[in-house]
Amino acid sequence: MWAYFKFEFFQFFSNKKNIAIYVILLFFSCYYALKIAPTYIPIEKVDVNEIEARYLTREEFLNNVEINEGTHHLTRFAATIFPEWNEYDKERLDSIEQHNLKEYAEATYKWYAYSDEMIFRYGGGFLFYNPGYYTYGNNYATMDGHYAYLYSASRYEGYSEGTSNLSVKVFEERTALQTLQRLLHAYLPLILIVSCILFTVDIVLKDRQNPTLLQGLPLSDWRRLIVKGGVSLLGSILAILPLSVGLLIIGARNGFGDFDLPVPIYFLGEFSNITIGKYLIQNMLFIVFWFVFIISLLLFVSVTIKNEFANLLVGCVFVIAEFIYFARGVAVVWNVQWYPTSYVQVGQIISGYRNYLYGTEALTFGNGLYVMGLCACIFLFFTFLISNRRKFKLL
Amino acid sequence: MHMWKILKTCFILEKSNKKNIFACIIVAVFVFGLVLFVKTEDLGNTIKEKSGEYQSLSSALSKFQNVDATDSGNGSDLYKNLVLQRHYVSKQSMAIKMDKPEMYLDTAILLVNLRADSFDMEGFQNVASYLPSKIENQLDSVFYQYMKKTGISLSMNSLSYFQFLAYLIGVLGSVWFIFMSIYSSGVMIEDFQHSSLIKGYPITFDKYVVAKCISLMLIVGVFLLELFIFSLPLVYFKGLGNPSYPIAIFIDGTSEVYPIYKYLGLSLLYMISISIFTILLSVIFNVLLKNMYLTLFLELLLYIFPILFPSMISLIPFNPFNYLNFPNLLNGQMFELTNSVDLNSTHGLIYIGISIAIMVVAVKLFLTTGKLKKV
Repeated sequence: MWAYFKFEFFQFFSNKKNIAIYVILLFFSCYYALKIAPTYIPIEKVDVNEIEARYLTREEFLNNVEINEGTHHLTRFAATIFPEWNEYDKERLDSIEQHNLKEYAEATYKWYAYSDEMIFRYGGGFLFYNPGYYTYGNNYATMDGHYAYLYSASRYEGYSEGTSNLSVKVFEERTALQTLQRLLHAYLPLILIVSCILFTVDIVLKDRQNPTLLQGLPLSDWRRLIVKGGVSLLGSILAILPLSVGLLIIGARNGFGDFDLPVPIYFLGEFSNITIGKYLIQNMLFIVFWFVFIISLLLFVSVTIKNEFANLLVGCVFVIAEFIYFARGVAVVWNVQWYPTSYVQVGQIISGYRNYLYGTEALTFGNGLYVMGLCACIFLFFTFLISNRRKFKLL
Repeated sequence: MHMWKILKTCFILEKSNKKNIFACIIVAVFVFGLVLFVKTEDLGNTIKEKSGEYQSLSSALSKFQNVDATDSGNGSDLYKNLVLQRHYVSKQSMAIKMDKPEMYLDTAILLVNLRADSFDMEGFQNVASYLPSKIENQLDSVFYQYMKKTGISLSMNSLSYFQFLAYLIGVLGSVWFIFMSIYSSGVMIEDFQHSSLIKGYPITFDKYVVAKCISLMLIVGVFLLELFIFSLPLVYFKGLGNPSYPIAIFIDGTSEVYPIYKYLGLSLLYMISISIFTILLSVIFNVLLKNMYLTLFLELLLYIFPILFPSMISLIPFNPFNYLNFPNLLNGQMFELTNSVDLNSTHGLIYIGISIAIMVVAVKLFLTTGKLKKV
C-alpha cells in the first residue's frame, strides 16, 4: 500500500494539470499581493481629517445652541448626545497626534460602541453610519453598518486590552495575517475548494489511459480509492504553499502582524474576540473537512458515473449551490444549517457573519464539521459498497 | 460522401457521451435556479428598487449641511439637485402605489434629466457612489423617452417571461465562454483516447474538425433551446409579458432602444459565434498542448487577461477576448472599466468572426491527424 501511495503521489505531481494549477495559484497570489492588496481602502480607516471635521462641527453646534421651549426635539436630542460623542472624538484626535496608539484604540472602541448605540437604537432616519455602506442599490446598508460598527468596537477593544504591537497598518487590517483573515472572510475558501475539485477530478479516471499498468496490483479497488483520496488531500493541502508566497510579499511590505491580534466573533447578537491564531487554525481545520468532503464526493461520482466532466460539474454545483437559496434572513423559515453547501464561506461561518446574514444561530463551527463529516462518511460508505460489488470495475 | 459518414460517426460518438447529458442537465438546473432566484428576490419590483434609491439619496444628502433647498436658498447646486432628486423618487413611489403609470413616467424623465445635470456639478465625485453611473443614467434616459414616445405601458411588477429571458441571457452570456471552454476543452482528446474509430477514416483533418464542430454546435443548439423551455414556468407565475418591450442597450458607442426579441436575437448571435470560437480554440489548443486541463486553463487565462490588465484593452482593441463578455459590452459596464469607447459591440462580432476564419485557415494549413496520434 505504501508503494502504491508513493506511485500515486509521484503521478500526481508529474501531472501537467496539477503543476499548472500550482503555477496559476502562484500567479494569482503574486498578482493579489502586488496589485490588489495595496489598493485596499477599508471603510473604517484611520482618518484624522474625518474625525476632526466631525468634531469641530459638533463642537461649534454645542457652543452656540440655545435650548428653550421652542427648540426642535431633534436639536434637543443632538445637544444631549453630542457631548459624550465628542469627548471620544477628542480623545481619538489627541491620542493619534501623540502617537499613543493604545489610547487611540480604547477611545475608538468606546466611540464605535457609543455610535452604534445612538445610530441603531435612536437614530433611525436621521443618524447614519459611515457613508461607505450606503452605496447605490444596497438595501441593507443599515444592517451592514451595524455589523461593521460592532465588529470594529470589539476589534479595538481587543487592541486596547491585548499586548500586540499596534500600528495604523494593524488598525486598517493591512498586515499579512489580517489580510489572510480578510481573504478567508471573502473568496479564498472558494479558491481552495475549486483547486481541490480540479486536483481530484481525474485522480480515478486518469488510469483509463493505461489500464494494463495497474492490472496486476495486489490491492482491492476500495484501498486504491482510499490511497487516491489521500494523495489528493495531501496535494490540496499543499496548494497553500504557492498561496503563501503572496502572504510573504504582503508581510514584507506591510508587516506580518502577530498571532495574538483579535478577531471579533459574532454570536447571539454579541461580539467576542478570539486570537487570529485560533481563527486561522479553525479555518484550516474546516477547510480540510471541506477537502475531505469534496474528495469523497468526487470519488463517489467517479465510481458511479465515470466521467470527468460530470466530476467537474457536480463539484462546482456544490460550491455555487448556496447562491440559489441564499437570501438575508432566510434561515428563519428554512433550516439552512442541514445543507453542507451553506458552509462554503468558511471564514464567514467561523466569524459568525453568515449567521448574521441568514438570521440564525445554527451555522456554527461545530455544526459545520458535523454536517460535512457526516456527508463525507455517507459518500465514502456508498463508494465502499459500490467498489466491493463483485461486478464492479474501477475503470 | 465521406463527410456524411464522418458526421454520422461523430453523432454516434456524441450520443453515447455522458458529458452531453450532464451539460444539458446543468443548463437546465442553472435556468431553474435563476427562476427561483428571481422569484425569491422579486427582481424587477419597482417599489423595492425605488425605496433603495431613496435610501441612497438620503445618505448622499447626509454629507451636506441641511439648508434651504429652494432656488433662492444658500445650498450648493448639487445639494439642491439631490434634494429635488429625492423628491422625484418619492413621487415615483407614490405614483406606483396609486397606480398612475403616466405620472411615474413623467417623473422618471425629469429625474434622469436632473441626474444628467448633476454629473458636471462641483463636488459630484463625493456622492458618485450613491447614484447610478453616467452610462446607466444615459440608458435610463433613452428608455424612458422611448416609452413616452411610443406609449407602451411600463412594467412595474416582477419580471415576466420575456423580460426574464433577457435577464437570463444577460447572466448566462457573461459566463458563456467559461461554460463553453469547460464543455469543449476535451473535444479532440476524448475521441483519440479511447476509440480507434476515427483513426482509420480516410478523411483529412480539417474535414474531421468541421464534422466535429457541426455535431457540437447541434448540441449547443439544444442548450440554447433549453433556455427557452425551462424558463416556461415563469409564464405560469408571472405571465408571458410583451416580446417587444424595450430594453436600452449600448451599441456602437451610443445608447439605443431595442425590443426584447431583437436583443435576444443579437445575444443569441453572440452566443453562437462565441461557441464556434471556443470550439475551434479548443481544437487548436488540444492539438498543441495534448491535455484538456491545460487547454481549459489557458483559455480561461486568456479570458481574464483583459480584466486583470485593463490597459491592454485600449492597446489591443481587436483582441477577440475583450468582447466575450458581451452583456457587459451591451450594458455599458465595459466602458466604465476602460474609460474609452474603443469597444464597439458590432466590431466585437466582426473580430470574433475574423478570429474564427483565421483559426479555420490555421487548422487547414498547420494541423494534421498525425499530430494527434499520440495523445
